[in-house]
Amino acid sequence: MQKILIVEDDEKLRNELKIFLKKNGYEVEVLEVFKNTLQDIININPDLVLLDINLPNSDGEYICKEIRKTSSMPIIIVTSRDSEIDELLSINYGADHYITKPYNIQILLAKIASLLRRVNMNGEIGDKIDAKDFIINTSNSTIEKQGKIIELTKNEYKILKYLVQNREKIVSREEIMECLWETESFIDDNTLTVNITRLRNKLEELNLKELLETRRGQGYILRR
Amino acid sequence: MKFKEFLKDKIITIILLIFAIITIEIFLLTYPIANFIKIYIPIIILGLYIIGIIIEYLIKRNFYTNLIMKLDELEEKYLITEIIKSPNFTEGKILKDALEQINKSMFENVNKYKYMTEDYKEYIELWIHEIKTPIATSKMIMENNKNEVTKSIDEEIEKIENYIEQALFYARSSTVEKDYYIRKTNLQDIVNESIKKNKNILIEQKISLNIHDLEKEVNTDSKWIVFILNQIIQNSVKYMQTSHLSEIEIYAKQQKENVILYIKDNGIGIKKGEITRVFEKGFTGTNGREANKKSTGIGLYLCKKLCNKLGIAIELNSLQNEGTEVRLVFPKGSYVDIT
Repeated sequence: MQKILIVEDDEKLRNELKIFLKKNGYEVEVLEVFKNTLQDIININPDLVLLDINLPNSDGEYICKEIRKTSSMPIIIVTSRDSEIDELLSINYGADHYITKPYNIQILLAKIASLLRRVNMNGEIGDKIDAKDFIINTSNSTIEKQGKIIELTKNEYKILKYLVQNREKIVSREEIMECLWETESFIDDNTLTVNITRLRNKLEELNLKELLETRRGQGYILRR
Repeated sequence: MKFKEFLKDKIITIILLIFAIITIEIFLLTYPIANFIKIYIPIIILGLYIIGIIIEYLIKRNFYTNLIMKLDELEEKYLITEIIKSPNFTEGKILKDALEQINKSMFENVNKYKYMTEDYKEYIELWIHEIKTPIATSKMIMENNKNEVTKSIDEEIEKIENYIEQALFYARSSTVEKDYYIRKTNLQDIVNESIKKNKNILIEQKISLNIHDLEKEVNTDSKWIVFILNQIIQNSVKYMQTSHLSEIEIYAKQQKENVILYIKDNGIGIKKGEITRVFEKGFTGTNGREANKKSTGIGLYLCKKLCNKLGIAIELNSLQNEGTEVRLVFPKGSYVDIT
């Protein structure tokens, strides 16, 4: 499991973030004392740091600069300062991303995931998701079952991935749309219906039609 | 300065002089001297006096017409003391000294208020940054405890966020110094960011988006533009028609001198007579006064103000019951690329 360190002086926010990230499958550590922030970060040596700029006793930009002298660990700056100049400074000091409060949780998650993926590019994590009944190839957006491979469009792929992530939970149409919008395909209600129908047809080709169920007035559910 | 008016000011000395000449003449007439002396003395006195008065008039006219002319030319009238020559007569000197002192005290006064607004703006910005942490925390708590209630609170928090953002930009818009940072920006990125920011409400209201031809670059501050776009999109959402499917179309056109970004909706539109007033501060119009719209009359006013600062033209066209179109005109190359 990958370790994320949260450096944030607001206790409540820190704890909620911890719960949230844990839920999403990360190991989370937090700093509670900010006396030797820099040394603490280096000692913990996480896979990724979420760093607030306004910290007691030191500031994030300085810490960022110091970390970069010895380590290339991914750093995401999380701050309430939102001017372009602050952003530029942080990036210049070696931060990988800059997110302003109050942040969009899904964006934060996506940025963490993409950063960690990039760091772990050395082949350990494959580009296949095993969804039990079938396999999703993330590299070329296809699904396969017993050697039979079917291509998915960009949207179909994203929808299926989201459904797999939320397996056995009812996922509302709004949720799916929000997920797609987050990746900048701003589809409307009708397009979503079309996409779902196509996805279902493709699943049918793999004899998996009964996997994707419609719950009237609630959304969809991917069954086990 | 007219000669007649100048003479009017001299009326007392002129009367006194005439009186003196008459007195002298009476004395002279009672003495047995040559007639030519009796005529010469009053004429020479009068003549010299007239010459003196003309010289004085010319000096003063020179100074005052110069003063008035320069004053007319000046945009900032209070700079007048800096550009006029020191006069060589007492009245003028007093006038100039007085003006200089008045200016100085006025400057001090103005500065006092400048510092006060500056101070206030700093406080507002600080406050806004402070409040962002509790908002972020609330959103995290809701994310970790998803249900109908927290979803509803989340929607309200989103409204609070929008108001806070408005306050921040309001504070920024009213200061003199540059708070923005111009650099090459892709319109697609800006529009995407703005839509993502409003995705909840756009999805909830089932608004379909038609976005095309945005792969164009402009020189601007992306944060400011995203804010401006947010205001425009939120307006479009607010003033939708319930009778048919709502659509927002966003696209850009490249022209010789500029790039124009269009944001078009098919909402309720704006009354013909009110279009010219929508950028006025506090103007709410017929639409804004309707129940549950809650217009503050700040959004578009702020957009205009920020656009002015960024050197972007903002134009609005609308047909009642048909829709509204907002155009942002980005001039080409009017800023030096500093990145």
